[in-house]
Amino acid sequence: MTDLPSMQDDLVLLHAYLDGELDAAAGLEMERRLAADPALAAERDRIEAVRAVLRERLPRETPSPELRARIERAVGLAPGSEPPPLRPSVHPSWSLLAASIAATAVVASLATSHLVAPPRADAGAVLSSHVRALMAPQPVDVASSERHTVKPWFNGRVVEAPRVVNLAASGFPLAGGRIDVIDGRPAPALVYTRRQHVISLIAVAVPGRADAAPARETAAGYNILRWTERGVGYWAISDLNAKELDEFVQLFRTAPADG
Amino acid sequence: MTVTYLTRAATRGHYAARRRSFIAHRSLPSVDTKARFADQILPYLQDAYGLARALTGNRTDAEDVVQDACLRAYRSLDRVTVINARAWLLTIVHNTAFTWLAKNRPRTIVAVSDLEAVERAHACHDLAAAETPEASLIARADGAQLEAAIAELPAQFRETLVLRDVQGLDYREIAAITGVPIGTVMSRLARARDRIATTLRRTMS
Repeated sequence: MTDLPSMQDDLVLLHAYLDGELDAAAGLEMERRLAADPALAAERDRIEAVRAVLRERLPRETPSPELRARIERAVGLAPGSEPPPLRPSVHPSWSLLAASIAATAVVASLATSHLVAPPRADAGAVLSSHVRALMAPQPVDVASSERHTVKPWFNGRVVEAPRVVNLAASGFPLAGGRIDVIDGRPAPALVYTRRQHVISLIAVAVPGRADAAPARETAAGYNILRWTERGVGYWAISDLNAKELDEFVQLFRTAPADG
Repeated sequence: MTVTYLTRAATRGHYAARRRSFIAHRSLPSVDTKARFADQILPYLQDAYGLARALTGNRTDAEDVVQDACLRAYRSLDRVTVINARAWLLTIVHNTAFTWLAKNRPRTIVAVSDLEAVERAHACHDLAAAETPEASLIARADGAQLEAAIAELPAQFRETLVLRDVQGLDYREIAAITGVPIGTVMSRLARARDRIATTLRRTMS
């Protein structure tokens, strides 16, 4: 006999899981149940299908150009009314757009402006981030093994979302992602697990830097592997043994690019 | 009329709490309000229109609501520092649109308690119905079928769905904009997607 209210709660949690809104514990629990319950997994496929068609097929209606003109006239911004100070151009749209982009970049996101200069990560900073994350109630801010959930979560939080692959089939399931602060600047971190061990994979944009093969370091008993690939500096850190961390990095680097 | 009163009271009651999340009262002398309006508010005209269009159901009324909301934002702008301009503008659009609905389409607003009953009824109904549509069927829906399915939703469900699945806001922002707890956002979103799927099965088969 199925208990309807509790089943109802499950469905609501499933939606929250797919939206990347569950914490680590609830996310892992949901993944366990999705694996065990074919009906719940079918429901997941249906929800994903609804989300996908809404995203891809729903026509996006734009307001008429007249609306913007009406509003600008109403607040005295339109051409012909008193000259607005920050806008010398006669054409309102493009200069306003440019001004808004500039303002958004400066005001709305400190993270964005900070990332203009790449962080100078060092082993100490990466170690601190990893250990800090382990001490927190959960090592991830977004908990999901679904790379299509983790990758979009980074959008808007860091300039460039990192490459996300799931290595669950090879024994390194993706647990989620978080934003670390390396040298005062936000950097995306992916969190993988191996048995009871947590692996943080931190990606730092280093435009122009030459590719470099993985090099090993240790700090305070943690193994660290760092390498550079296509303008991104990667740091993998874990208390996992060096051999398995090597294996993880090898798998991550050779996994096919995500779609 | 009870319906109208309930909704308006709810809208007003949450307004003070929401203002605190997206703005801070200014202590510095104001720079030019028009420039700030152009920089901070106008970039989100498209988002504002998307929400107003979903709630009013047509272009003309949506544009009236957006214009009204923008003027309200403009008049408040010299007293506040906007922290999250997009969410703040959407909050004002939400309030403006529900005031407009209460006045012009009172029957489309479902009272909060009725809405919960509807949610419960649908929840049981949906789960009892074994014939849930397959993902492959849903994936074949076209734009017109989706628009029709969305139009059938109650305004509050439609609003939550649009804010999440079209505009990509997170649950916390949606809760603040619409003035309801996060749990309500979650159940509305689940119900809205569920009903879209059910409607698509009905119209496509």
